[in-house]
Amino acid sequence: MRNRATTPLSKAKIRQSWSKYNLYNLQRFRTPPTFFKTHFQQKWAAKSVSRAYHGEQVRESQWTRMFSKRLRAVMPMNPIQLARDDGSQMSAGRGSGLDPDGSERKSDSKRIPYTHMTFAPLERRLDVAIFRAMFASSTRQARQFVIHGAVTVNGQRMTYPGYLLNPGDLFQVEPEQVMYATGAPKDRMERREGRTARKQAAEARRAAAEAAEDVEEGAPAEEAAEEKDGEPAAEAEAKGEEDPRQTLRALLAQAKKIMTSSKEVLPAKRKQELRAFQRSVRRVLSRSQSSAVLTDNLEAQLSEITSLLKATRGEKTTPKEEQVSKKSEPEDVEPSSSTAAADNKTSEQLAKAFQKASLNPEAELDEETTAELSDEDLNVLKRALVQLRDNPIDSTKPYATPWRPRDYMSAFALIPRYLEVNHNICAAVYLRHPVARPGLAEVPTPFGENISTSAFAWYLRRR
Amino acid sequence: MPPRIQSHRVSNSLLPFLSSSSSTSSSTLSASASCLSRYDFSTTSVSQTRHRETMFNWLNNEGSVFKYHVPGETNYVTRLQKGNDASQSSSPDVGVENKKPFPGNQDFVSESILSEELRMEIYKRVVEQKKSIRVVSVELRVDMRRVGAVIRLVELEKRWKQLGKNLALPYARAIHEMVPTTPLATDGNQPSHESTNDLPIHRLTEPQIFYPVPESRPFTRVDAGRVFSGAPALVHKEAEKSRDHLAAVDDLVRRTRTFERIGKGANEQQVLQPADMRIPHPQLILVEKDRMDHPNEYRERVKRYNERLADQDASEGKRRAVAVARREATLKHVEPETSRFQFRIQDVVVSRTTTGRDGRGPNAPGRRYGVPSQECKKGQVKIPTEVIV
Repeated sequence: MRNRATTPLSKAKIRQSWSKYNLYNLQRFRTPPTFFKTHFQQKWAAKSVSRAYHGEQVRESQWTRMFSKRLRAVMPMNPIQLARDDGSQMSAGRGSGLDPDGSERKSDSKRIPYTHMTFAPLERRLDVAIFRAMFASSTRQARQFVIHGAVTVNGQRMTYPGYLLNPGDLFQVEPEQVMYATGAPKDRMERREGRTARKQAAEARRAAAEAAEDVEEGAPAEEAAEEKDGEPAAEAEAKGEEDPRQTLRALLAQAKKIMTSSKEVLPAKRKQELRAFQRSVRRVLSRSQSSAVLTDNLEAQLSEITSLLKATRGEKTTPKEEQVSKKSEPEDVEPSSSTAAADNKTSEQLAKAFQKASLNPEAELDEETTAELSDEDLNVLKRALVQLRDNPIDSTKPYATPWRPRDYMSAFALIPRYLEVNHNICAAVYLRHPVARPGLAEVPTPFGENISTSAFAWYLRRR
Repeated sequence: MPPRIQSHRVSNSLLPFLSSSSSTSSSTLSASASCLSRYDFSTTSVSQTRHRETMFNWLNNEGSVFKYHVPGETNYVTRLQKGNDASQSSSPDVGVENKKPFPGNQDFVSESILSEELRMEIYKRVVEQKKSIRVVSVELRVDMRRVGAVIRLVELEKRWKQLGKNLALPYARAIHEMVPTTPLATDGNQPSHESTNDLPIHRLTEPQIFYPVPESRPFTRVDAGRVFSGAPALVHKEAEKSRDHLAAVDDLVRRTRTFERIGKGANEQQVLQPADMRIPHPQLILVEKDRMDHPNEYRERVKRYNERLADQDASEGKRRAVAVARREATLKHVEPETSRFQFRIQDVVVSRTTTGRDGRGPNAPGRRYGVPSQECKKGQVKIPTEVIV
């Protein structure tokens, strides 16, 4: 399908998209004027402007078949009121209820914005629901994800973007695709890094294939292998000679550098630091006996590092630091769940602790107390490791790493109530159809009452 | 021109554990660089329309606040308008004003999502403490359907972790920073996530009906429901009985109630019940009634409430068992010894009940004369209509 969903600046059309063009159009959009316009013209303008946002990927005839003049609404009920009264008070007097003083009562509840629900049937579509769950940056992109087979509904792959979700359906998009759709794009440098990494990988593969051929031939296989391994082996030996204390100190310093504030530090610089830390962690872990450690869980990694560097857990913690470490105890037990929960308070406290630690990084690690790790140091190390694992630098990814949200995303960030979304696994449940309630409509639409009412009138087909 | 981005308006997803105040300002430099580079290395005149120029002007000045989010705050376009209004008058509901993402639509509010802790608490209460979904919904003030969905999603997440699949953690964290969330109260005073007792507005209640009633006669919700569904008014004795609406609710909660039906054949339908019967948590009405009648007997009230819930669970279980048994009775299981499949065979029923009185019932199986196949009709959607779990 050709993409007609352009965002022309000459005509401000709002689209279901997170682009900055759309943001600009959204803030300057004005309701089309109704002065000196016939009723037909008003309805036409309202229809065209709202259809540019709601289901522009759906053909008009398709939409007119989906349209329903019955608009869903709910009324929140108060059990206290229901217990007190069987309804006869509301119908007392001349039929509209009496106040205690005997005068007629007026309804005080807000109006239900019914006509905002005009395009509610479109919210049932799979592609729109994916966009609403914030798994894609536009409905068009969501549609592409569906067509390319990245979406499952109730565990089965669904390739129809027009699939109408039923209440209770669980849909899931591949997290890699979601990270790509919502993450910042790579810049030029990062793209080049990806290219070189790919090139190197291809070369290594070719070399491996050649080596395999040589093995088949017979004789000079071992030589080639030795030649290749020669350099890293030497490096490893050199590392083996290093003092574990020094290594530990360096590692910790790096971790602290990463975790402490550095407003002035440029992203590139920061990335270099992260990379250096990653490299040294790898180097330390590569000395361990089991090769599975690198892919193993954090606890194992941490214990491996400490044991390799012959570090012992020190008891030197000030009361404040103790408090901090106590706060983070549940996180120690379950690092992966804790990372998902962003506890602002804890993180603030931790940030303070890190800053404090960064002021005197050498204090705990002087000659006498060498290789003694305080709880706080361990924490820093662990956190650096967590960050490396959860948000790694990886040039093979199609988005900028470490992942960060794309620009202007927050202006569009909303999740309607008819979806229940789990962002960790990029899955969502379509709970029910969207409804209107007093003073509130659940269909996210950028248009006001007069536009949606005119559009509704247009589709009633009494022009 | 130097970028006018304050250093604290910056995403902190780069740093999972630090608040934004201590995180790095990402790519402020690159933004300004890209802005300048439009003019830098070109000798030809800049082909940029007036609109484009104003757009980039806006994006670099007023619009620059939308580029990055502040964790824990919403960042919608309406904040620009609000800034103008706030100088003149401070409105009382600033909290709601911050949550309107569309400047043109005042009737839409970006509602909060469940925080991570609240989700895990829901899961804990239902799966580990074995509380019923109904009870948890009332305790944590979350809709019952949402409670069910949360459990499904958390289960799925656990399975993914077991399988060692990669989760989108930095993404999830960023979303929870941008969108309002309902926290889990630590002091037991849980804020309401959403209204749990929503009454769907019924199709039958849409027409306006002129129905004269003598002022001397009480006219209740039960009577209104009968009028809307076209049922005859109750005679005096029955009407007296129906006045006790709480007894009816009690029956409903204990699942011992049968509903009157009206109409014939295809037009048969249940008489519209009053709101007390149609809300998701009718047991709360009885709780309130108890509280009004016996304000000082807290233990007694709790006991009665629990008793009622147990009754409800028991009768619900019984009803479900009966339904399953009835369905099983219509099925024949065939398990060939050489096959790894089990076939469940259900006989088709072509009778008055399925084909209808005129024999043209659309849901009856088979080809019948005078009933066109809807397959060939224009506009019939051929993509799946449901995916069975």
